[in-house]
Amino acid sequence: MNPSIPPSTAEYGGDEVSAIVLDPGFSTTRAGFAGEDAPKSLVPTYYGKYSYEGQEKLIFGDDVFVTPRPGLSIHNPIGRDGIVEDWDMAEKVWEYSFASRLTGAKPGNPLHNGLNDVSNGELPADMEVEDTEKPLADSPLLMSECGWNPTKAREKTIEIAMENWGTPAFYLARNGVLSAFAAGKASALVVDIGASNISVTPVHDGMILKRGVQHSPLGGDYISSQIRALFKNNSPQPITITPHYLISSKNGVEAGQPAQANYKTFPPEKAPDASYRTLLEERSISEFKESVVQVWPGPTKLAAIGPGGVPNEEMAKTTPARPFEFPDGYNQLFGVDRYRVVESLFDAKAAIADPESPFPAPTQAQTVTELIKSALNGVDVDIRPHLLANVVVTGASSLLYGFTDRLNQELMQTFPGPRVRISAPGNTSERKFGSWVGGSILASLGTFHQMWISKKEFDEHGPNIVEKRCK
Amino acid sequence: MAAADVRDMLDLPAEGQQQPRPHKKQKVVEKRPEGITRELYALLGERAPPIAINENRYKGRPKWMSKLRVRPWSMAPFTNGARTDELVLRHWQRQHEPTNAPALEGPEAEKPEEKKEPEEEEGVLKPPEQEYPFVKYNVKARVPKRYSDDEYNRHLRNDDWSRQETDYLMDLAEEYDLRWVVIADRYDFQPQPIDAEANSNALVPAKRYRTMEQMKARYYYIAATMLAFEHPPSEMSETEFELHEKMLKFDPDRERVRKELAALQLNRTADEVREEGILLEELKRITANEQNFIAERRELYSRLEVPISVGNTAMYQSSQGLSQLLSTLLQADKSKKRRSILGPEGAAAPSPAGQTPTTSGPASARDSRAETPGQAPAPVTKKAAAAAAAAANKEPQQQPLKTLTAAEESRYGVQHHERLTPSVQFRSDRPQKLTHAKSNVQSQKLAAALAELEVPPRLVMPTERLCKEFERLIVSVNALLDARKMGEKVESEIRVLEAAKEERERRKQEANEKENPQVKTESDHNDTSLASAAPAKSIDYANDGKDLAAAAPLVEGPETGAGNDTAGDASHKRSASVLSNGSDKSAKRQKK
Repeated sequence: MNPSIPPSTAEYGGDEVSAIVLDPGFSTTRAGFAGEDAPKSLVPTYYGKYSYEGQEKLIFGDDVFVTPRPGLSIHNPIGRDGIVEDWDMAEKVWEYSFASRLTGAKPGNPLHNGLNDVSNGELPADMEVEDTEKPLADSPLLMSECGWNPTKAREKTIEIAMENWGTPAFYLARNGVLSAFAAGKASALVVDIGASNISVTPVHDGMILKRGVQHSPLGGDYISSQIRALFKNNSPQPITITPHYLISSKNGVEAGQPAQANYKTFPPEKAPDASYRTLLEERSISEFKESVVQVWPGPTKLAAIGPGGVPNEEMAKTTPARPFEFPDGYNQLFGVDRYRVVESLFDAKAAIADPESPFPAPTQAQTVTELIKSALNGVDVDIRPHLLANVVVTGASSLLYGFTDRLNQELMQTFPGPRVRISAPGNTSERKFGSWVGGSILASLGTFHQMWISKKEFDEHGPNIVEKRCK
Repeated sequence: MAAADVRDMLDLPAEGQQQPRPHKKQKVVEKRPEGITRELYALLGERAPPIAINENRYKGRPKWMSKLRVRPWSMAPFTNGARTDELVLRHWQRQHEPTNAPALEGPEAEKPEEKKEPEEEEGVLKPPEQEYPFVKYNVKARVPKRYSDDEYNRHLRNDDWSRQETDYLMDLAEEYDLRWVVIADRYDFQPQPIDAEANSNALVPAKRYRTMEQMKARYYYIAATMLAFEHPPSEMSETEFELHEKMLKFDPDRERVRKELAALQLNRTADEVREEGILLEELKRITANEQNFIAERRELYSRLEVPISVGNTAMYQSSQGLSQLLSTLLQADKSKKRRSILGPEGAAAPSPAGQTPTTSGPASARDSRAETPGQAPAPVTKKAAAAAAAAANKEPQQQPLKTLTAAEESRYGVQHHERLTPSVQFRSDRPQKLTHAKSNVQSQKLAAALAELEVPPRLVMPTERLCKEFERLIVSVNALLDARKMGEKVESEIRVLEAAKEERERRKQEANEKENPQVKTESDHNDTSLASAAPAKSIDYANDGKDLAAAAPLVEGPETGAGNDTAGDASHKRSASVLSNGSDKSAKRQKK
């Protein structure tokens, strides 16, 4: 067969083997069956921990946001750089993501659930087998990982999947590659704007080019910290975010007037941990990001002089401001400030300084444009024009209003010669779940089924096989 | 009461005049939609409200389908032939039916059917009847046969590449199916220390960075060598030989230079890109214009080549013949317009214009030519400029209608030369034509005069201004030559006349001597006065002869001033070829 001739349309084919695709991220974990167009299970990666009657209890999923239990603290098993830090909890969160919605609740032990009580006391022979059933015994599992995942973490992942979950087949794919697949491209430059990281991954023929992979921490959480800094420096008075759970009632106030709300108070022994409040504040900030924040469209930086000779800041001031109401009823119009909070993704000097922020001030090398530049410098010159013509933008934070337009302008200025073409799906869920969708496509292809690492191979070669097979 | 009475009462027109009654409205029988009873539908009246009445049910299958049996599907396990381990995955599959339902299997017929016994116990698998359909896509790049130790040592040794590294490279090439971009990206060879103990303290050898070109060069060398082992080049098939040649000729340096250039091209600044864009645009415009110009010129040539007919004009002398001529001319006019689109083929085709003895061909050519300089914006190419100049050259003569202003003339490069016949010509011919004279003798004289002045007969740099000056010079030289010729003629005339006069005098003297020999001296005096009178008469004709110089001082009368002038000039013994204002004047005067 000639590999250069593509197969005819009729021959393209999916072959669904009820594989599960698991795409763990810093903020959310996506899981679903391969072949579907969106993940069925979307759970936060954050989990809650509290103690009840001396016992340590854990809360997973959306339940973490709901009840402010006494002493409830919020944790994340994944580190800021996207690498798993707490493997035990990561396993639990991931297992929850598919077991809660996809593979169903584990059936209770048939010995004790009363359904199988037999009068004569004789136990069926296969009951023992049922007892040790693993959550993923029937489903192959495709997991995604970031491009800079160390070997140890990859080996640990396959160990969990094979030994603890008992999957018959496993594959570990780079999320850059999967996002490129979701955009229908085998070679692409994937720009992933996530919660904790932004990453640029050059993909060639379905394989990442490791020397070109770049990432920096200027993700959605960084933008949140910028927004917090903006609130702190707000001119009439600093804005404090009071999450919904602390408010029992509120009255409407005029813009810029202090809030009139009745607050709930928790006695110290009943109050949840500060991390819980932070998590809920983040939700309000996310709302702010979605409805107010906007990326300056360019072509020049916000701090520069525009094409008409007028400073861009002045131009930005002329655009109508946007109102935002906080949970406690305080509301305000946000003018040029709504451009400022994201400007540092492109111009490090425009960052709003905040000494208390957990994020150090960004350097110019961490900006999106510079990351793309250095990613391209890390790959062969022959494929650079092709990569620039196939820039795939994905990740939920890339949904910031005007982000792709600005990125396009920046890239056109940085690379005036080659053709720059950005492909960013307009559909919100495709943009949010880009790498999951790619995984869903990949795991349902008939040609992919020869790539799985089977249980047998794992037993034969040990966890190191993941390095050999998942290139 | 009759109908007519009623009509009368109601002031209606009589029966016959009545206008026909409007047609009865056709009753539109609307079709009752399904799912509504007749009674209910009748209540709705004539105009049913615009509400779609649809029964709320699923579309369902066509009726013929409901007669079919349901074909069962089953979750069937399968193995993949491309895998080395017997991994069993499960997918939904149409269950095989032993009784074949012929017509209905249509589109599903090609569905792969591997397993037919779903009730089969799990884990125990029958060998699949059919191979997994996606196995055929499991293709691998063709990599050369691996070398043996002996072969390596004899042929493939290289100081730069150790055996381990070569093996590593070949492994990578196989693993990544010769995707060099990926291979170069993943290349990470760690040389194994020969004895770890001894080298533990030694410096770790600096990691060598291999470029893609180095890897390619090494790989191609090995691949070509191994290919040559397999088949000596003389026995290779054509494709193999081509591949072998291609691999042997791989030049890493050239490839590296190419990549540097590619990087330069990629990292151009915005200004460079803009400039390039402008230049490309310009180039496109120029090529487009050239195409136009070529097409136009071809059209012109094709028109010039239209044969001039030599038919007799007798047939046009009757009025019928004239009207026929008019129609053919009109047709020719139309076809001419069309021909400009058709191009040379149209022109070459025999047209009625060919039969007319008029000059329609050249006239039309002139028309198209007259447009050319205006259409071509500035001299675009050298050719265009030359052609425009040539066209402009003949324009003023052939087309007296259009007079060019001085500015236009300079713009189109129109030049006027007295000595050049207006026609299409090469520029290089022009300087030669300037010195061209009517007769051979004349041109020789001209050449001699130029040689005396140390002016080359053919201009070294015939610019327009120089040509003009040169032309002026030639004109003056010619005038002088003419003058000299005239002078010589007059002189000889004088000599003849003098000789005749002397003869007459002598005869007279002889006669006098016979009569009165005493008065000899007196008559001698008279002689000289008479002899001097003759040149005085002829001075109007010859002023420039040097032989006259002696006679001139003797002359007295109204011509003295002029005579003095001439004498002054002549006394310098200037040759006729030398230019001077004085001689010019005299030449003019001579013309009178």
